[in-house]
Amino acid sequence: MKKNKILVGLVLSLALGSCTEILSPKPIDILADQFVLNEAKDVQTVRIGAYNAFRGMASPKVMIGDFTADFIQHNGTFTDYQELGNKQITAANGLAGALWGGVYSTVYVCNFLLEKLPTVPGVTEADRKLVTAEAKFLRGMAYFTGATTFGGIPNVTTTDVTTNRTVARASKDEIMANALKDIQESLTDLPEGSPTQGRAIFAGYATKNAARAALARYYLYTRNWTQAEQFASQVIATNRYDLVSYIDVVARDFNPESIFEMGYTAADDPGTSNFGLNNILVGRREVIPANSYITLITNRESGERSATVDIDFGKQGGGDNGWSVVKYGTPDEDNNNIVIFRLAEMYLIRAEARAQQANITGAVSDLNVLRTRAGRNLTAAQRPPMVVAGTQSEILGVIERERVYELSFEGHRWYDLVRTGRAQAVMSAFTPNWNQKYELWPIPQTEIQRNSALAGQQNPGY
Amino acid sequence: MNHTLLKSIFSFVLFCLVVGASFAQNRVITGKVTAASDGSSMPGVNVTLKGSPTGVTTDGDGNYRISVPTGKVTLVYSFIGMLPQEVNVGNRASVNVELAENPTQLTEVVVTGYNSTQKKDILGSITSISPSKFKDIPVAGFDQALQGQAAGVQVTQSSGTPGGGVAVRIRGNTSISASNRPLFVVDGIPVMDEAISGRGFGGQNDNSLSFVNPNDIESMQVLKDASAKAIYGSRAANGVVLITTKRGKNNARTSVTVDAQRGAIDIVKKVDLLNSQELLELQREAVTNAGQDPDRRGLIAGVTDAVNTDWLDEVLRRGIYQQYQVSASGGNDKTKFYISGALRDEEGVQLNNRFTRYSGTANFDHKINQRASIGTNVLLAFTTNDRVKGDNFLDGVYSGAIKSLPWFAPYNEQGKLYGPGSPNYPGFPNFNPVAQALLPRFRTYGTKILAGMNAQYEIIKNLRLNSKISLDYNNSEEDQYESSATAIGGFLPSVGGQGYGVYITNTLYTLLNSNTLTYDVAFNEKHHLNALLGAEILQSKNRNSFATGRVFPSDDFTYINSAAVQDQAGSGFAQNGLLSGFGEFRYDFKEKYLATFTARYDGSSRFGPSRRFGFFPSFSVGWRLSEEPWMKSLTFVQDVKLRASYGYTGNERIGNFTYLGTWGASTYSGATGVSPNNLNNPFLQWERTREANVGLDASFWSGRLSVILEAYDNLTDNLLFNQPLPLTTGFGGFQGNIGNIANRGLELTISSVNIDHSGTRGLRWNTDLNLSHNQNKVVSLVDDKPLFRGYQGNGVSATNVILPGHPLGTFWGLKALGVDVATGDALYEDFNKDGRITPDDAQVIGTAQPLLIGGLTNRISWRNFDLSFFFQFTYGNKILNFANTTLVNTGADLENNQTRAALRRWQKPGDVTDVPRYVLGNTFNNFHSSRFLEDGSYLRLKNVAFGYNLPSRWLNKVKINNARLYVTGVNLWTLTAYSGADPEVSTLDGSTSAQGIDFFTLPQTRNVTVGLTIGF
Repeated sequence: MKKNKILVGLVLSLALGSCTEILSPKPIDILADQFVLNEAKDVQTVRIGAYNAFRGMASPKVMIGDFTADFIQHNGTFTDYQELGNKQITAANGLAGALWGGVYSTVYVCNFLLEKLPTVPGVTEADRKLVTAEAKFLRGMAYFTGATTFGGIPNVTTTDVTTNRTVARASKDEIMANALKDIQESLTDLPEGSPTQGRAIFAGYATKNAARAALARYYLYTRNWTQAEQFASQVIATNRYDLVSYIDVVARDFNPESIFEMGYTAADDPGTSNFGLNNILVGRREVIPANSYITLITNRESGERSATVDIDFGKQGGGDNGWSVVKYGTPDEDNNNIVIFRLAEMYLIRAEARAQQANITGAVSDLNVLRTRAGRNLTAAQRPPMVVAGTQSEILGVIERERVYELSFEGHRWYDLVRTGRAQAVMSAFTPNWNQKYELWPIPQTEIQRNSALAGQQNPGY
Repeated sequence: MNHTLLKSIFSFVLFCLVVGASFAQNRVITGKVTAASDGSSMPGVNVTLKGSPTGVTTDGDGNYRISVPTGKVTLVYSFIGMLPQEVNVGNRASVNVELAENPTQLTEVVVTGYNSTQKKDILGSITSISPSKFKDIPVAGFDQALQGQAAGVQVTQSSGTPGGGVAVRIRGNTSISASNRPLFVVDGIPVMDEAISGRGFGGQNDNSLSFVNPNDIESMQVLKDASAKAIYGSRAANGVVLITTKRGKNNARTSVTVDAQRGAIDIVKKVDLLNSQELLELQREAVTNAGQDPDRRGLIAGVTDAVNTDWLDEVLRRGIYQQYQVSASGGNDKTKFYISGALRDEEGVQLNNRFTRYSGTANFDHKINQRASIGTNVLLAFTTNDRVKGDNFLDGVYSGAIKSLPWFAPYNEQGKLYGPGSPNYPGFPNFNPVAQALLPRFRTYGTKILAGMNAQYEIIKNLRLNSKISLDYNNSEEDQYESSATAIGGFLPSVGGQGYGVYITNTLYTLLNSNTLTYDVAFNEKHHLNALLGAEILQSKNRNSFATGRVFPSDDFTYINSAAVQDQAGSGFAQNGLLSGFGEFRYDFKEKYLATFTARYDGSSRFGPSRRFGFFPSFSVGWRLSEEPWMKSLTFVQDVKLRASYGYTGNERIGNFTYLGTWGASTYSGATGVSPNNLNNPFLQWERTREANVGLDASFWSGRLSVILEAYDNLTDNLLFNQPLPLTTGFGGFQGNIGNIANRGLELTISSVNIDHSGTRGLRWNTDLNLSHNQNKVVSLVDDKPLFRGYQGNGVSATNVILPGHPLGTFWGLKALGVDVATGDALYEDFNKDGRITPDDAQVIGTAQPLLIGGLTNRISWRNFDLSFFFQFTYGNKILNFANTTLVNTGADLENNQTRAALRRWQKPGDVTDVPRYVLGNTFNNFHSSRFLEDGSYLRLKNVAFGYNLPSRWLNKVKINNARLYVTGVNLWTLTAYSGADPEVSTLDGSTSAQGIDFFTLPQTRNVTVGLTIGF
């Protein structure tokens, strides 16, 4: 009997001895909340998380900017892109959720940094200021993108989940004001930076020039021409960027023209994901350039900028014109980044601001800087003609075209048409399915379903 | 019956015995007893003289020798689990007898988890399935073998892919987020039951349960109610399936069995697609209707349709199936053994698709002394699975073949496959499916080791200690290469470009130590108590890794060593554990009033520290009416028992660390950081199911007819649920415990022996019928807002919805009101009456849950022949023919072939039809609607088997004990209104909320197999 008791005891002790190991294994390759940001060296890792979140917005923003407009036709099988090709966009479209999600992931991580940074011990004042400025810049940009896409959106100011799950829409003005405040404040503490750091650092992370470029764009959208011109001029005047050959704009990551650019490596390339630009434009060719766009981008005025697209005659047939957009390559081609700001846009902003202020000469000279670059490697007969002075509205028309040549498939077209009030005219000519409601994107269907404060607040027409 | 009477009978019997032995004139009768099912010899059968206590038992070869008085006598042959036989001997000196299985088997010992009991004393809802029910069917795994055999068990084979996924649901779906699979326990070891490979194949998974050879199974028990399951506590909510493998018998001669099967496999039905000419005409019409010129699109009659390829014929074939097995078992008084080895090789109907399994079993038991015994069980399996992509993949084989335009061709004039970029099959959105089948190497090597050691020790009389250590080890290695002429390897430069190699390993293993003490005691011969106490530790670990390589020198180099770029790799590790104590107390009074209390206390690593432990009790009572004096007079009644149970079970099968707020690694431009990953929920706990069950077990006429009727009412609360959050929170949702799901149902099982002359080798016919009805309903969730699941639908949020008041598997979409006779456009119901058709007009349009499912098996034997046929049916469920959004797409695009239904399209005003007009680029007519929902009811002749036992007088000459030749047919006939290829389909293998979708899923196969079993 004694032996038996020992046996039973042995079994039980075996069971209890390993209890903690069995029931409380250490988390693997994840960090529990309380360890995320509580010492100085954690600041860098969360900062990278903020850029990661912001980068998530870049590709949906390009798609919304260009695919909503008159650049593309559908050529694949995905419903999301079919809706964009046919201009039958619904609130269930995945891009709405992708951009919205990107905006608020960015806002969350930035709010987390801004809430926590003041209390993290051991962080140098310089680091604290720098990361605070970066967080504000990214958050401001996120709000700017959200407001220009959806109109008024919820104003999320905390990381508290209970608060954030029932936030109503703020007005578009309020969100835009937030964005302006954030970007303005970031300008103070962001670094000037220098190309000597390497372009991957200089353009890969926020700098004063990135903030200035953001303000230039902001004032352009809000029709504050003097401010727009001023900030664009400031960026141009720093002389830290070069107008590279246009083929490098198309085909090279972190080229010297880039002011702010979202970096991908082979390891985190979006690959075949549903919103991967290379996958959608080159791999699956879910959308291909519309015929009218091809006519425009390949005309002489466009010059070298026709390198934005490429044709493969083997793909022609049926409804397929054989053209593909090649601005977003593969990691192997070192061409998978997404540009947020580059120097050419500053010239275009300044040209438009100057034209609006009736400074036709200044506008023409800015435009011709780009025309010259677009003919740099061409024979005289092929070079785009220089812009000559004309009436204000003529020049504004030239600027609208020049933005197509220069910036197409970088996420600008639809925003440009909407802000200039040209959407209805241009888009109705492009497709009979156009409807004025498409001047704002729908709030994602799921957000309205999940957030009671958004009930009944969908944009009109959706 | 009182004691005095009993004593007098006993004395009389004793007296007869003595007297009979001394005075009768004797002669000797010899013979052999064999099993009616397979002709194998039966040792240990009691042979007695009717009306006298004289008796003998058969020896190891089933032979007996009995001495009887002269004159006419009747011999009675009886054996546990078999119907007793009475044979009028006459003057014969040799009597050979066959015993048939008793469908009721009241005294059969049934494994009930950690314990065992006689079948008649079971108070829970347990269905036993004997291997004789599936031994002829060429099933790959025991999950398939359950199909149609037990009431309340719904088994859906997801597709006709060999070694593929099988969904087993016991009494409905209990969970939204956590697994709905039952707990499978093989020889006491909870086994891995999920897909084990890492890479997606477009909807169809592999299946680790197909690693266990069903021919090694001795018995299967399905535990369905709380009383039966609560001993498995936190893992039992979805039901438990206990599998016991074969073991040797003491004092039996060594028998060797050889079994060989060989057969052919074909697809049950092909989708009826258009030929080139028909499709061209249709496409020209669609282009014209869109106001464009079809000639300018190159759609020219006589040119475009010059080639006409039947793509299904190009990718499908007749597969060859073969299985060979050798097993041996035997034992002496101390040691017994069972060993087996088997090879199964199954060619899929798709080119290059093949599943091969080598498996072996070795089970030993040894009695050390009167008190102690030890045993081992070892099961090994190695599989090779050559897979092909399917379903929701553009580069799938079957899916690609259905969609491919008939005017493309697989090969050029030189017999070379067209690759991406070729004008004769350019690739995207579809790729040459023949190339996609033949060129890639998708080989998955699987290993399974299921091994255990156990020891029993009787500490004092009737107090037994049972200890067991077991391992379930599963490994898969995926060796893959997609050549530069395939979609991934050649078409997408961002992925492969010039060949794409992948190597993935995944290892999952569970270590288990369980210890139980059982005590059995009776007082005054009236009270009988059986108690069990146990403790168990379980730990599961998972290790995985992957590497990919791109840019190969040529397609002659196919391993990652040769790749120029090897820039994607990863590895991971995960573990979880369970620490439990459990107990069971069974009591009966004179076997008339019975009660059982069962409980388990589980601690799981998957939940928050404050909610780590859960308690799962159950209580059941039974009343054996047939033991009441007033019922004894009804002699046709063998046994009648009423039983009821109530209790709780749980579900813990969610991911690890979901209770913890966590941040995961993230990257930006070559730097690494952290990003928010999961929201904190320290109160995360089990899903709990409250189960109530009442049952009636009755058997009549010595077991010739038995009926089981059951009703249950289950309510799952604290649903493990990823509660959705608006993205404004920065998260899409968090893991919580919210909501209730109810399952209510009725089950009826009837077994009858309609005719039985088997003792004299005459006709025997028996029937098994089971019917079950389950009503599943989501009672409540976070709120009443719809949660979307399934695929994205055109013009609506999704194809499936989870909505309180509706079952899981509810379909969502616009309600189609037919086709406008005047315009040919689709008509949809304007559900919210706002005058427009928007996603907000979508509504519930049907459910995948059937009203009634069932199985009917008939077995007839006559002399040496036997015939069985097994029907399976489901009634009242809907199938979403999602493939038709592509195959009857009303012209949304011109990239895909269409089915014959497209010929019914609207063409001119006045046409009354259900298919809208074809207009290129029009998505409105192809919005996701009830147009794609069809009645999924079917009745299927699942299996027919015809066998012939070779006469023993032939066999004895070649020293063969028994031999059986048989032919089986699977899925020979189906009655259904479903227009797709096969109503038994589920593209999202294992999905609960999006079940019953047909999205280019490979149909089931029709197998015709010939087999031979020889016993030595």
